Amino acid sequence: MFAIHVENLVKTYGNRRVLDGVNLDVTEGEFYALMGPNGSGKTTLASIIASVRRQDSGVVEVYGSKPAQAKEFMGYVPQENFSSPKLSGRENLVYFASLLGYSRNQANQIVAEMLKNVGLSEEADKRVAKYSGGMRKRLEVATAIFPGIKVLILDEPTTGLDPAARRTFFGMVQEHMEKKTSIILITHIGSDAELASKVGLIDNGRMIAEGTPDELKRKHAVEDVITVETAAKSDSVISVLKGFSINGRVAESEIGYKIYSRNGDRVLADVVRSLDQAGHKVMRIEMARPTLEDVFFRLTEKNLQEATG
Amino acid sequence: MGQISAAYNKAIKELLREKAALFWTIAWPIIWVIIGSFSFTGSAPREVIPYIKGSITISMMVFALMIAGMSNLPASIAGDRANGLLAKLMSMPVKPYKDFIGRISAVITLSLLAAALVMVVGVAVGARFTGTGVEIAQAIGFAFLVICASAGVGLIAGTLIKNLQGAIMTGVGIAVITSAISGLFAPYEFLPVPLQIFSRIYPISSAQASIVYLLAGPDMIAYDPLTSGQIALTITLSLALLGAGTVLYSRLGWKLE
Repeated sequence: MFAIHVENLVKTYGNRRVLDGVNLDVTEGEFYALMGPNGSGKTTLASIIASVRRQDSGVVEVYGSKPAQAKEFMGYVPQENFSSPKLSGRENLVYFASLLGYSRNQANQIVAEMLKNVGLSEEADKRVAKYSGGMRKRLEVATAIFPGIKVLILDEPTTGLDPAARRTFFGMVQEHMEKKTSIILITHIGSDAELASKVGLIDNGRMIAEGTPDELKRKHAVEDVITVETAAKSDSVISVLKGFSINGRVAESEIGYKIYSRNGDRVLADVVRSLDQAGHKVMRIEMARPTLEDVFFRLTEKNLQEATG
Repeated sequence: MGQISAAYNKAIKELLREKAALFWTIAWPIIWVIIGSFSFTGSAPREVIPYIKGSITISMMVFALMIAGMSNLPASIAGDRANGLLAKLMSMPVKPYKDFIGRISAVITLSLLAAALVMVVGVAVGARFTGTGVEIAQAIGFAFLVICASAGVGLIAGTLIKNLQGAIMTGVGIAVITSAISGLFAPYEFLPVPLQIFSRIYPISSAQASIVYLLAGPDMIAYDPLTSGQIALTITLSLALLGAGTVLYSRLGWKLE
């Protein structure tokens, strides 16, 4: 049985079909990243799985049950900030613990532990209005990871987090994966999705590709990008570089030229050697690995960051 | 702790930490008790003045109850919907009616606190009240009807108006305008006839008139609000407003689309 099973899901707002026959399966303990631009339907999909919205048609099951019957073991962090700025971090968490049925003593104990886990123990009694965006997000993630949670749905939880907070966040995700919690991460950030065991790319309400990050890059033939800076630009440099680039494609950049290869790390040394033999001094050469954003671009001709705004 | 007490604790803490809510619910009526007690009693016979002050105090207590229900309650509902808490609660095993009871109980607590403080200030500036034990109990019953009617209006505003500022301003606007035109701030006999009719129909002003009649004396009200027909109308309309608000909130309040 899948932890989450979505089949032929359709959702329409007015005349606009936001989800158009989406299929998705998440196994127990899997970390699934759903990546797409704003308006692609990913938040709607997450909110339907989390039982916040209802689909027009299609099947959604969480451990074989309808989402509304799985609320007891599902944790959801919506995209918007929902913690009360007038309450302290501790008071917010005690509120959510109480809603889940914990007694005051149990709530206080669990909350103290959770605050420690998300690195907010020292700020626990400050009002949330005084928290930074990252602290507030960590607090809100904590509201979704009470003991007994088996499915975690996180909608853009890393937006606005600084690198340290992101590390803490993904550390928490790792801990939950080890506890066999199934996680759906909604994101438009490729580097976040890279950490997932499986990635779904969604655009215009349709799932356009799915697989591990490596599978997606391989399958959709996205190349490494090698940028070469020589002492001077010339046709002779271009003719050397053409021999190393897929389809002989050489693009001029501000500092030099860009070539494309599926085996960038192997080609790198050959490029330097050939240019040297042809009498061109290489000032700098660097290689960028393809990202999931590149895969998305290849599939949709849309730049994910620009589409997201 | 149950879900009701969780919702209650959150809502009451938020209300007590919200300066605007405290100002409009507590400070504003108190200011008017003080101003009214020294400005509107000049030409009255000396022995009547304490009861006029009593009448002003009751009107401001009713205003405090109104503001709590009509402004603080929709602010709490619309605020939680606007900031994403509603989506979070919908994903949790939370019973909407428990959230509703906790939320409305917090507003009632603030209402009663405000009314008690207004009463204390009123007495401190010389307000006096009459009334037997039974009449006091009846007055408390009418105050309860004010809370019901105000909460009903607040639930309707908080459910239908999705925008936080819009919900607050609608609530305050209804409270201030209906207070002005129903005789809460001015003697009933000074109102034009259509507004006198409105004052008798509007359950909050008719409940306020009943409380004044019971606790400040019949001379303070230019009509008898305690006829059986008038009482029945006040009770029916107060409960109808609360019922309409509750039905609307339970059907539409927990929907995002």
